Amino acid sequence: MRPGEVTLEHASRSFLLRPEERARTLKELFVRRGRRDGARVAALDDVTLHIEPGEAVGLVGRNGAGKTSTLRCLAGIVPLDSGRAQCGGRVVSLLELGAGFGADFTGRENVFLNGALHGFEKEEIEERLEDIVAFSELGEFVDVPVRAYSAGMYLRLGFSIAAFLDVDVLLIDEVLAVGDESFQRKCLRRIAERMEEGATLILVSHDPSAIERVCRRVVVLDAGSVRFDDTTAEGLLFYHRLLGARPDDARRERRGPGVDVLDLQLRDSEDRARSAFRSGETVRVALSVTGPAERAVVAIEIRDSDGSRLFRTDTTLGAIEGETEVVYEIPRLGLLGGDYDLVVGAGDHDAPPAGTLDRIVRLSVSETFDAEGLVDLRGEWRVREREPLR
Amino acid sequence: MLRYRFLFEQMVRRELRQKYKGSALGLLWYLINPIVLMGAYVLVFSVLLRVADIPDYPLFVVAGMIVWVFFAQAMLAAAPSMEQNAPLVRKVRFPREAIPAATALVQLATFLVMLALLAPVAVAIRGSLEPGLLALPVVVVLLFAFVLGLSMAVSVLHAHYRDVEPVVAAALLPWFFVTPIFLRVEDIPGVSSRQWLGDLLEWGNPVAPFVSAVRELLYAGAAPSLGHLAYLTVAGLGALALGMLCFRRLGRELAVVL
Repeated sequence: MRPGEVTLEHASRSFLLRPEERARTLKELFVRRGRRDGARVAALDDVTLHIEPGEAVGLVGRNGAGKTSTLRCLAGIVPLDSGRAQCGGRVVSLLELGAGFGADFTGRENVFLNGALHGFEKEEIEERLEDIVAFSELGEFVDVPVRAYSAGMYLRLGFSIAAFLDVDVLLIDEVLAVGDESFQRKCLRRIAERMEEGATLILVSHDPSAIERVCRRVVVLDAGSVRFDDTTAEGLLFYHRLLGARPDDARRERRGPGVDVLDLQLRDSEDRARSAFRSGETVRVALSVTGPAERAVVAIEIRDSDGSRLFRTDTTLGAIEGETEVVYEIPRLGLLGGDYDLVVGAGDHDAPPAGTLDRIVRLSVSETFDAEGLVDLRGEWRVREREPLR
Repeated sequence: MLRYRFLFEQMVRRELRQKYKGSALGLLWYLINPIVLMGAYVLVFSVLLRVADIPDYPLFVVAGMIVWVFFAQAMLAAAPSMEQNAPLVRKVRFPREAIPAATALVQLATFLVMLALLAPVAVAIRGSLEPGLLALPVVVVLLFAFVLGLSMAVSVLHAHYRDVEPVVAAALLPWFFVTPIFLRVEDIPGVSSRQWLGDLLEWGNPVAPFVSAVRELLYAGAAPSLGHLAYLTVAGLGALALGMLCFRRLGRELAVVL
């Protein structure tokens, strides 16, 4: 195993749904660690991953998809039921703010405690102490017991320790969100530096922009299995499609100059918001965009569940200043039963490039029984027997 | 184990800092508690209820009692230790043995301080400065192995079965009274006529031989016999093996059950 290499081979791990119900006896304990009764839920279900040294991988998925469990198995905190999980070299995990801190220790003392917990020797930690303290921006708080720290200070200290010790694999779980914007940016820069030095990063985050900035590769987990494993752009798209059922979550923050899509909603002919339609119904795509832009362009795209584009159109709105409502009406929905994604992109001057994704919403079409496929071209059969020629 | 020396050092410091933080006497409480406890027992048994006619009786009692206090305090501290450190166990990977080991080490330090206070007094009063005293470090090492092993066992067992701590706490009181601290086993009324009872009290309870070994060293300057030492060795190593077995069986799932 090379330092920085990470592999999961057919890794599976399940947990008891309600651990307090496990009836356990001392006899059972020493006889064997047998299968215990009770509903189990698979946190990792036959996960196979290989990560090369120096790679940065974003791990995304819904709550309960197994992201944190994956990190805990990789860190060796939770053993697998079957399969293998290995990390080459030294591993530092940042799974929870302040885990591994002594509340009555000062920040400085905690650097040593935390370093020791991660298997570092006193000398190694002393070497890095100044860097860590400087990076954390704690100032004189570094000599105050961490009991008095705010969440942001916990993060700054915890991250600084993880980022400055000489680790080969860094596992970070959704903790960066606590920090303020500027510290977050500083962390991401530091992570990028560490990766140039050959460290490997696995980052769990709900914040696509953080993942986009650091990771080249995204793994989407759902119900304990790897659903997708490819480039960041594709991975985030896939993830959003997974979230499609809940439009509120399905937005990707893209702040910057130009046109911003603020809201996207599907409505029926009576302007009621809906996400499920029947073939042939009227669908109104209502969105609001905001400028300022000299020549705003909005594009609508419909994709099937594999992500293939079925339809795309765009329109020029002209100059816009503030918030602008746009409605695109499909008088007769020409899709057969199934799930689709309706994606909206916006740009200034030019139509947004294909694949631009500002907002996405799930469009479900209820089952059609008399036809198969994607496109609704249903018509009428006419059968007439011709008069036989005499 | 040696690889984690620095970790142990840090964990012990954390353990020390957590308890009695902010109290005026701080670490002194580690000594005050057992001293008050022992003072009460000495008062009751040597003045109010004279159970035996033993010269320098308070010294006799205290010499045996420090062993019991070490053992009992270590068990009470170790049993909930995993549960108390649950956030750490759930989120960080490190050898989990460090947690009960740190509690045992803190209690060992208390024991050693009391030993250091008591030994010169005992030698001065009893004139027990005999070559046999050289066996004391050996006995202390074996006693620590015994306490460490059981600390590991109860901590990991309690993490899995939350009944363990109350069971331990409940067992310690009767256990204290069957341990020959106030009298030598042979002086207990009713033992002289029943040999088997004496053997049971002396050897059936693994704490008793440690108590008598330390007491006879301090009080009489008498080294334990070879058989006695062999018993201590088996008890110490056996407890250590039990602790490690418990960890092997149950240690892996700690992050899940806590």
